Amino acid sequence: MTGAPQALAIAGVLAIFLGAINAGSSRSPRTGLALQSTGVLFAGAAGVWVLASGHALGAAFRSDIHPAFGLDPLSGFFLVIIAAVGAPAAWFARDSLRADGSGRALAVATGTFLLALIGFVSARDVSTFLEFWELMTLVPAGAILIARQDTEARHGVFVYLAITHIGGACVWASMLALAWHGALGGHSLGGGLAAFVACASLVGFSTKAGLMPLHSWLPRAHPLAPAHISALMSGVMIKLAIYGLVRVLFDWLAAPGPWVGITLMALGSLSCLGGVLYALMQHELKRLLAFHSIENVGIVALGLGASLVLRDIGADTWSAIAFAAALLHALNHALFKGLLFLGAGALAQAVGSLELDRMGGLLRRMPWTGTTFALGAMAIAGLPPLNGFASEWLTLQSLLHLGGVTHLGVAFAGTIATAALAGTAALAVYCFVKVIGLVLLGLPRRPECAQASEAPGAIRASMVFLAAGCVLLGVLPGPLVGRLAALSPGSVSLGGSTSLEVPGTGSLPTLALALALVALVAALARLAHAHRIAAAPTWTCGQPPAAALAWTSAGFTKPLRLVLEGFLRPRREAQIIVSSTGIVEAVAYSAEVPHLFDTLLYGPVSRGALRGARVARRLQSGSLRAYLIYLLALLGALLALARIGVLG
Amino acid sequence: MSGATVAAGAVQLVGGVLLGPAIVGLIQQVKARLQGRCGPSVLQPYRELRRLWGKSGVAPEPRTLIYTLAPAVAAACTGLALLLLPIADLAPEWGLGHDALVLVGLLALARFALALAAWDTAGAFGLMGSARDLMLSVFVEGLLLLVLLLFALPPGSTDLLSMSHAATLPEVWEKPAHWVAMIGLCLVVLAEIGRQPVDNPDTHLELTMIHEGPLLEYAGRELVYLQWSAAARHWIMLVLACELAFPHPGSFAAQIGVLTGGVLALSVALAVCETVQAKMGVLRVPLLLGSGAALCLLGLASWLAVGGGG
Repeated sequence: MTGAPQALAIAGVLAIFLGAINAGSSRSPRTGLALQSTGVLFAGAAGVWVLASGHALGAAFRSDIHPAFGLDPLSGFFLVIIAAVGAPAAWFARDSLRADGSGRALAVATGTFLLALIGFVSARDVSTFLEFWELMTLVPAGAILIARQDTEARHGVFVYLAITHIGGACVWASMLALAWHGALGGHSLGGGLAAFVACASLVGFSTKAGLMPLHSWLPRAHPLAPAHISALMSGVMIKLAIYGLVRVLFDWLAAPGPWVGITLMALGSLSCLGGVLYALMQHELKRLLAFHSIENVGIVALGLGASLVLRDIGADTWSAIAFAAALLHALNHALFKGLLFLGAGALAQAVGSLELDRMGGLLRRMPWTGTTFALGAMAIAGLPPLNGFASEWLTLQSLLHLGGVTHLGVAFAGTIATAALAGTAALAVYCFVKVIGLVLLGLPRRPECAQASEAPGAIRASMVFLAAGCVLLGVLPGPLVGRLAALSPGSVSLGGSTSLEVPGTGSLPTLALALALVALVAALARLAHAHRIAAAPTWTCGQPPAAALAWTSAGFTKPLRLVLEGFLRPRREAQIIVSSTGIVEAVAYSAEVPHLFDTLLYGPVSRGALRGARVARRLQSGSLRAYLIYLLALLGALLALARIGVLG
Repeated sequence: MSGATVAAGAVQLVGGVLLGPAIVGLIQQVKARLQGRCGPSVLQPYRELRRLWGKSGVAPEPRTLIYTLAPAVAAACTGLALLLLPIADLAPEWGLGHDALVLVGLLALARFALALAAWDTAGAFGLMGSARDLMLSVFVEGLLLLVLLLFALPPGSTDLLSMSHAATLPEVWEKPAHWVAMIGLCLVVLAEIGRQPVDNPDTHLELTMIHEGPLLEYAGRELVYLQWSAAARHWIMLVLACELAFPHPGSFAAQIGVLTGGVLALSVALAVCETVQAKMGVLRVPLLLGSGAALCLLGLASWLAVGGGG
């Protein structure tokens, strides 16, 4: 019975490959991108089959370096994530890429990126795993450099490559150590080396996932890429780091101890609160969305950490629920973040700059883009009845139950994480009220926004596809959650198809809640509008409403900035130039919320590294005699080591 | 389904839909008496709602569908929240479950809809209120979750039915965690229904208002929905406080009696608090809520110290 899905997966990969070649060789990349989009859907269908049936395809994991590919249910699930974002992203690119050299090159890069992502989740040996891991890092860097050649882009790409390669080194170390001890596909690794592998993989994978404090590359690199590549980076690429983390911590390491779970929860709490807080202070849409990726990866990490801790204290059912919550949130985030990045791309195509304070009124001009974007924003803000609420509800429930265990440290970790996640959810609502308000509502603040026209068909179709996914998973997450819980090592089954029936909760009847909400809103709105309603201009003390007087992003978030002044340390300068007659001639004003991680953590580290490099440069004097001395010293040292028997 | 469950369902619906404005009226009346005035009748909020229901609405320009739907969304969320809330440990199965976190989610959706409506009209006043409201909600939701966590400790569940049932057990009252959670819940109630010292419900001064802000543009039936939602939120929070925190053993009738007494007592307490306590600076409210959160952590420590669930 495994023939058909295997053929589907291979056909999908071939279609993406041919699509990439076609996009590069023909005049317009549209056909090639359509082929890529179809191909990734085929691969996703194979993923759905593997996830639903529970049967593996192809090879199993092995600890050698002979290339092997295969799919098991966990890979299948991440393949679904790739397809859920990859297909609409490639379809979106049909209308967003130009039919010129750079457009064709970007279309080829899109196909290569999709192949790298699929290759990473289906790799079954250590060499293929690491090979696709590196490819997954390099392709988007290339895509950014194709799309933009300015200094800012080059600097962003450099930071991205530098930080992810430090993380990559840790991934290499942990994977090679695991393979050396035969932990891939064999017995899980235990003992002292397990602690090393756990640390290395936490550093390595969380760098790529964008967990704080190793996130600094993310808000730099993601906004630079073209919209559909940003969607893939934010929606899929950082999720695959979570995939690696799940593999190492849940499959290949034998019970690494509660500290791993607690560390992951600490990183998760920091990332979700820090991510959303800095997102709230951003004034550029794509940079804001990039910070939200940090927040959502933090929520996923909270779920995974809770799952590890719960497994350690023997609460298998709740461990499985937390595991399912984390994976569901990974998929949900892929859907709504893909949607929001594609929406940002559509908006940028219509109005140019994505400066939040210079947009406005776009819901009326671009109803399709606006509505789907607002749906995505509602979903990411974790509001019922959309998918973000379902997964955040499950995560919160598992953290709450962590607070109820008898172990003091674990209970405190769970309680603090609960409060952090609750605050994060409220902050996300705050942030996306701001985004929707500034971008879609009110008066247009630029002529471009007043004359914007709706996005073309392919772009609209891709956004509707993702928005439908957000609604569907919000209304019917039950069957998927059951499957995901069964993937956890605890293997428990959860009931409920139209609702989330979880023991120890009042249950979340997703379908009934959504239907009741829609019906009640429709009835009430009808009743209110049965009565006469007169039109009148908005009351602004008798003046007509003016776009120049509207609220700004900084103004709307000011209450929070004042409350958290001690933590955020906002900086502002106002300079008023007054003439000798006492008339104000000019006012110069600037304000910003500096990214404290950059100034307090990355700044000293990079300065130290540069200082170290200056010292090390003295060794490279260029003098032949010095190099001969180095060689002689090395030879002498090796001989001495051989003499005392250290070299064996 | 027993007769008591049907009666509880009736109280959920009738009480929730009809009695919210009476609580608001009662607080106003008691406050007026305490200040030496006659004050408006307890029924005054009903008269205002009836008056508004008959008036024509005003649709400001610019606006979109979001402004038009926001009052209905806010009222629908509040209405569904009423169904989640058990009365006297009982509630019929409406098909919506009885989970505490779903209740929190519905209240957040109502807040979200109103804040968006404030953006939609491009007016300046509504956003003053909603920016403050959203800022406070960050701290309120954090504290509320900690409080719910403490109340969920004895039953080991966030099901409001079992949480309210657990409050009837006498041993709950021996745990300091319960008392601490009660204090935290009081702070949440104050902030969530917009009472002093967090917000002053009697003022429409744009420099200070919080909850009244986003309502400014609305008129007619849409304003009825919003004012009813604000009143029903009083009912929700006070009943939640009574069900989770007050002891209510005994028969169904006795429990209803305790609930009535509890809601009345809390309303009077709110009026007294409003009379003696001035409004805090809005930037100091997070400090108040933060100290509530710190207290909740102490409560958790005490729960574990005295043996917790064991």
